[in-house]
Amino acid sequence: MKRRQFVGLLGASALSLLLPGAAFAEDERKRGSTSTTSTTTSTTAVPADTGATGSVIVVGGGMAGATAAKFLRLWGGNKVQVTLVDQNATYSSNIMSNLVLNGSTTMSQLTYNYNTLKTVYGINFVQGSVVGIVPPVGSGTGSVRLADGRVLTCNKIILAPGIEFDAVPGLTPALQDNFVTHAWKAGAQTTKLAAQIRNMPAGGAFVMTIPAAPYRCPPGPYERACVVADYLKKNKPGSKVIVLDANPFIQAEKVGFERAFTVTHAGVIDYRPNQAVVSVAASTTGGKHAVTTNSATLYADVLNVIPSHKAGKIITDNPALANVGGRWAGVDVRSYESTAVPNVYVIGDSAASGQPKAGHIANQEAKLCADAITRALRGDLIPNPAPKTNSACYSPITADTASWLTVVYGYDAVNNKMVAVPGAGPIEAAAATQDNFNDMKKWFATLMADSFA
Amino acid sequence: MHRLIITTGFVVFAAWSQASSAATTVTPTHPGRLLASNCFQCHGTDGRKGFEELAGKSSSSIYEEMKEMQAKTADKNIMNAHARGFSDSEIWLIADYFSKVAR
Repeated sequence: MKRRQFVGLLGASALSLLLPGAAFAEDERKRGSTSTTSTTTSTTAVPADTGATGSVIVVGGGMAGATAAKFLRLWGGNKVQVTLVDQNATYSSNIMSNLVLNGSTTMSQLTYNYNTLKTVYGINFVQGSVVGIVPPVGSGTGSVRLADGRVLTCNKIILAPGIEFDAVPGLTPALQDNFVTHAWKAGAQTTKLAAQIRNMPAGGAFVMTIPAAPYRCPPGPYERACVVADYLKKNKPGSKVIVLDANPFIQAEKVGFERAFTVTHAGVIDYRPNQAVVSVAASTTGGKHAVTTNSATLYADVLNVIPSHKAGKIITDNPALANVGGRWAGVDVRSYESTAVPNVYVIGDSAASGQPKAGHIANQEAKLCADAITRALRGDLIPNPAPKTNSACYSPITADTASWLTVVYGYDAVNNKMVAVPGAGPIEAAAATQDNFNDMKKWFATLMADSFA
Repeated sequence: MHRLIITTGFVVFAAWSQASSAATTVTPTHPGRLLASNCFQCHGTDGRKGFEELAGKSSSSIYEEMKEMQAKTADKNIMNAHARGFSDSEIWLIADYFSKVAR
């Protein structure tokens, strides 16, 4: 895109809307740096021409972003140019990462790259950190600015930045990396937490805290408690798992997790609801860590504090986008377009869609969004009248059994939101079984292939 | 009862076939595509992988399986639960989409 055109567009509309973009426009005029137009390769897996023409930038290459990029090409065709931007060259899966904690798998086995999206689907992958956006106006062009000064232009912007954490009193990022992990964005902290558990003394205390909802993967923390309890029973006799939940009750698969806590892992898991973290005192010398809640102080050999969540920084930096309590992005669930900023779409954990924040349903939100954008780029602006999505997940309860949970969501036109279809969930597995554990592995492999390959 | 439901489904399917004049290939505007993509997470993109390959299966066999699963105990199998989320006309659209995907 030409710089003059870019500046002109800003003058017309976008200046007042998103401050980082606006500030950037001033810098641009002074520096005169070049803007980068995305290029897309034609491939045989992608239809040549579906009637849709335009360019889309997807910010964030997780479950939502990768899926959106793939289906924009698959459904939009070669005339829809797609650029996927992520700060990392690879994606570390949160799904299955609790199985790193009992040594069943490793983070390197849970790492996915963007090679198939690039070579088979012709997606332009750019590694970089997005620091500002200028929303496209009408059928015109907007832009995404990276920390290194590069500028990418497009007709539609999809934001899929996942989540950010609130600060925990007493903890710094360095303390979280090395001593009191969250391990809730899978990666080095997951591996660190696994090592801490492996080195725990028998008869020790593993204490974990769960933030107030909404947080990503509603069954995930309870699953973690089960997997760790199962490992400690076998390897560190006499140890306890103390679960401090800021919520008043178990947030997902209540029947199954209550059974796991009181029967399967009876005497190991001590579940305590209504326990909001007030402060943490990390030991950096191998001693016990302390966590203080609204009602008690507990001491832990291994302490795992999952902080409360909010939308990704690119959204909370822009008050117009973070129009749900300043923390989440309001979206039209027929397209995932922001309810406040046209041509900017938000999918996955950052969106306030009324649905769970989890990878399987993020994949479906991405398909809905890709379909809506593809149609818009064909000139069809009529929203999908009856969107449907589904959430499904498997949770390991021991090293070789798992449960599952599913919901199908339909569109409530009166309130413009997604609601569970009557009779279709949430429904949880009758029991944790080995068959479910095997199905979990197949589900995970297929879901990741649908998103990344 | 089973027969009756299938008959109703065929009416929906026939109505769509006539309207679109699509014959053997999945068009970019197939009205079942987005609905069918709810199946891709477990059955592979376009039904070509995963638990059970749906690509190229006959629409009536997909429809009948979904109806059977709807009638079974929900918490015994994730698909029994899942099948309950879709109406007859939605199931026919999904089934028609997969039947037109090359295996």
